[in-house]
Amino acid sequence: MKTALRYIAASIALLAALAPVYWLITISLKREVDQFAYPPQWIGFAATLEHYRDAFSNASFGTYFGNSVLLAALSTLAALAAGVPAAYGLSRFEWARSWDLKIGDWILSTRMLPPIVTIVPLFLMLRQAHLLNSLIGLAIVYTGFNLPFVVWMMRGFFDEVPREVEEAAMLDGETRGGALLRIVLPLVKPGLAATAVFCLVVAWNEFLFALILTQTDSAMTLPVGIASRVTQYEIKWGAMSAAGVVAMLPVLVFASAAQKYLVRGLSLGAVKG
Amino acid sequence: MNTRVTSEKPRHSWRRLPQGFWWTLPSIVVLIALSIYPMIYSVRLAFGDLGNFTRLISDRTFGIATVQTIVLTAVALAAEFVLGLALALLVDSLSRAKSIFRAGLLVPMLLPPVVAAVAWRLIYNPQFGVLNGTLRQLGVNTSALTWTNGHNSALLSVIVVDIWEWTPFLFLLLSAGLQAIPPDPIEAARIDGAGPWRLFRDVTLPLLKPTILLALLLRAMDLVRIFDQIFILTQGGPGTATETVSLYIYRTAFRFSNFGYAAAMSFVLLAATMLFSRGLMRVMRAR
Amino acid sequence: MLRLAFLAPVVWLLCSCNRAPEKSLTIAVNAGVEGTALKTAAKEWGAAHGVKIEVVELPYANLFEKEQLDLSSRTGAYDVIMIDDPWFPRMADGLAALPHEPDADFIASCVAVTRAGGKTLALPYVGNSQLFFYRKDLFAKYKMDAPKTWDDVLAGAKKIGESEKMYGYVMRAAAGNAVVADFMPLLWAFGGDVLDASQKPVVDSPAAIDALRFMLQLGKYSPPGYAGFNADEVSAHLLQSTALMSINWPAWIAAMDDPAKSKVVDKIDFIPMPGERAPGVGELGTWLIAVPAASKHSADAFDFLFWSTDAPQQKQAALRGNPPTRRSVFQSPDLVGKFRAFPAQLAALESARPRPRTKLWNEIENTFGIYLSKANAGAMDPAAALHAASEEIAQILQRAR
Repeated sequence: MKTALRYIAASIALLAALAPVYWLITISLKREVDQFAYPPQWIGFAATLEHYRDAFSNASFGTYFGNSVLLAALSTLAALAAGVPAAYGLSRFEWARSWDLKIGDWILSTRMLPPIVTIVPLFLMLRQAHLLNSLIGLAIVYTGFNLPFVVWMMRGFFDEVPREVEEAAMLDGETRGGALLRIVLPLVKPGLAATAVFCLVVAWNEFLFALILTQTDSAMTLPVGIASRVTQYEIKWGAMSAAGVVAMLPVLVFASAAQKYLVRGLSLGAVKG
Repeated sequence: MNTRVTSEKPRHSWRRLPQGFWWTLPSIVVLIALSIYPMIYSVRLAFGDLGNFTRLISDRTFGIATVQTIVLTAVALAAEFVLGLALALLVDSLSRAKSIFRAGLLVPMLLPPVVAAVAWRLIYNPQFGVLNGTLRQLGVNTSALTWTNGHNSALLSVIVVDIWEWTPFLFLLLSAGLQAIPPDPIEAARIDGAGPWRLFRDVTLPLLKPTILLALLLRAMDLVRIFDQIFILTQGGPGTATETVSLYIYRTAFRFSNFGYAAAMSFVLLAATMLFSRGLMRVMRAR
Repeated sequence: MLRLAFLAPVVWLLCSCNRAPEKSLTIAVNAGVEGTALKTAAKEWGAAHGVKIEVVELPYANLFEKEQLDLSSRTGAYDVIMIDDPWFPRMADGLAALPHEPDADFIASCVAVTRAGGKTLALPYVGNSQLFFYRKDLFAKYKMDAPKTWDDVLAGAKKIGESEKMYGYVMRAAAGNAVVADFMPLLWAFGGDVLDASQKPVVDSPAAIDALRFMLQLGKYSPPGYAGFNADEVSAHLLQSTALMSINWPAWIAAMDDPAKSKVVDKIDFIPMPGERAPGVGELGTWLIAVPAASKHSADAFDFLFWSTDAPQQKQAALRGNPPTRRSVFQSPDLVGKFRAFPAQLAALESARPRPRTKLWNEIENTFGIYLSKANAGAMDPAAALHAASEEIAQILQRAR
């Protein structure tokens, strides 16, 4: 009896979590006359792909999608390239008078900076560097706010690996860089994957920076494209929902593939504080 | 890759060398350029005209935005914590289909916030939204239920969206924390005859405390700066019913072109965030 | 695999950066009927002149922000921008002066809002001004004349609305642009204004308070929740024949006579704004097109500007749903036959009044709109709301000094 109640409660929660998403999907598949029909049609409506065609052939969502993919990949790679060595350094070396704690704290605390605080200076900096309205400029900015997370999560994973592992390799003539690349990184692969997924999701979903730092379709991302259809005079709900569905699919696929590591990575970080 | 260290000779004395610094250098440089420098720039912009700060005190909209940001943060944080913890305990206690529930419950937090907000606009619309449609089906008179369009209901409607979207985050972290608790102390307490409530209060909760604090800290940081969802759902309206500090800063900077005043408000937001997070971090360290 | 993942985006970026520069124009337009017409024209012009056209369509509020950021920081991202006339004073500093003056065929009220510091900085593209929409069939049924004063409006709303069981009036009172636009004609008709001749706020003058009280009386005949309405809700009520009268923009005229969208084809008449203590006057809402001073293609951009506002192009734009800004186009016989409201539109446009010409209009409108919306929602007494608005507008003006 108690068990049954538990399952019922969990199912209600699951339903509440998924119903809005399901509704968005149905709107993207319904003909315009059915979208806002009363009573609401949850199932059994005539499905159409016209909104998907509309969003990706007539409107610029194809371009936005490409931009988003490229941006997420570039910024994630950059954040890993800078952040992994830092995490390793913080995990492995003795620091005078707990400086590691201070630097570690400091790196994490930059993450707490509200984006609205830095956006005006970043706009001016990118303009100076002629990187406004460009994917590279946006990728640089995204690297900045993903970096603290990379350092914080990867440090937890490196701490898990005993030092003796690479000390042995270094006695065998391996350099430290080599030991990191060939011995340690393979051991923390799951952690690396979780961290990368985290960065990808954050970059993919980001809105405020992309809104301000892009000016034409050539650099706009999916969230900006979707948002600029919503405040319009007349809202094209079908095309917008279709774009929304396409925008959420990659994140869901990625995250469910790495879900196991995601939980572990976060809990390691959490336990280490 | 990092060239500094490849030339190093492996000896047992390497621990004493300050090389750790070189490893962190690229990150430090990036963060100085992209976080610290812009922050200093903002602060200079704000203090360039001290009138910005006297204006803050008498600015009614800023007052409203501040109060609403605090209300929104407090209410959403409390609700998300309670729901997240309950869900984490509930799912943890299930014997089967655990991973299905876990994966499904995480979906809302993975969506782009913009997409989530679009979905909720479809739901909330008073004329043709599915929420009022369903209520009407159940025989409820929905003519007064205007959700995000109503002066009194707008802020609550926005909070509901945030709870829906971010309870999964609390759930995720707390689930991870629960999994990391070693089984021994729970067993020991159970043998001592502790009931489920005592078990939870005296054993599970204290062991979960660091995770809880971290989760609250991360979530509070994001709530204080909330922007995306409100920008799509209400743009701060109707009137100032859902105006928040981030939104007001955005409007001041980009619609009214007053960068100095926007910077002054950001400075307040930043100072509040830092004070708050310092406090929480201290509590965490002192556990 | 990892290496490939790393290389692919880099290679792609390098390729895309090395594309040879070509003749191009980037045009920022309002997402909606006004922008669509300009977009179509731009594509035609580009094809004829061998210029690559990139059009950025942005929603109203976002359009202002993007353009203003581009102008104030001189990024040169856009070569032609669409400007709503109240934005013009704020944007004027960043615009390039026209190489020659516009001809005399343009309607004077539209050209007046393109000048700053003795220079002409933009051309009027869409000749918008508010009109009064009312159900002539129902007014005839109850033997009432077309409303000439706001008292007539109120009387009609009461009598016809109650007998026909429909809303006598519908207005938009969502905070911001919407409620201010629907209040201005009332304010002016009652003899009030936002700023006086010395640029001091007078929104809490006795005339203004009377105007707001009158607006709340009209509100009694408006659909519930109108304090959150925007243009689409107002027009929906007219189209569905659930409301009798409203202030509206010419962009909606076509929809009213379109059987696919409307239940009131040929039943609505479009007339100049009612008066009260002063003659009625509508608000000007002209869309301008201009070239940012930082544009790197200003010669081409100006060619396009003059081309797209010449008489043949304006005729095309009119057929695409945009009211023209040239007298000759308003009076061209083949168009008058198609658009029955053109004479009324021309008269309204010639007498239309712009919103106060100040750089601070966005801030003032924002503040003013919040208090008007609060009064309409019943959250504040009209006099108290206007006193508070006046005080805050005074502060806005004070700070800018």
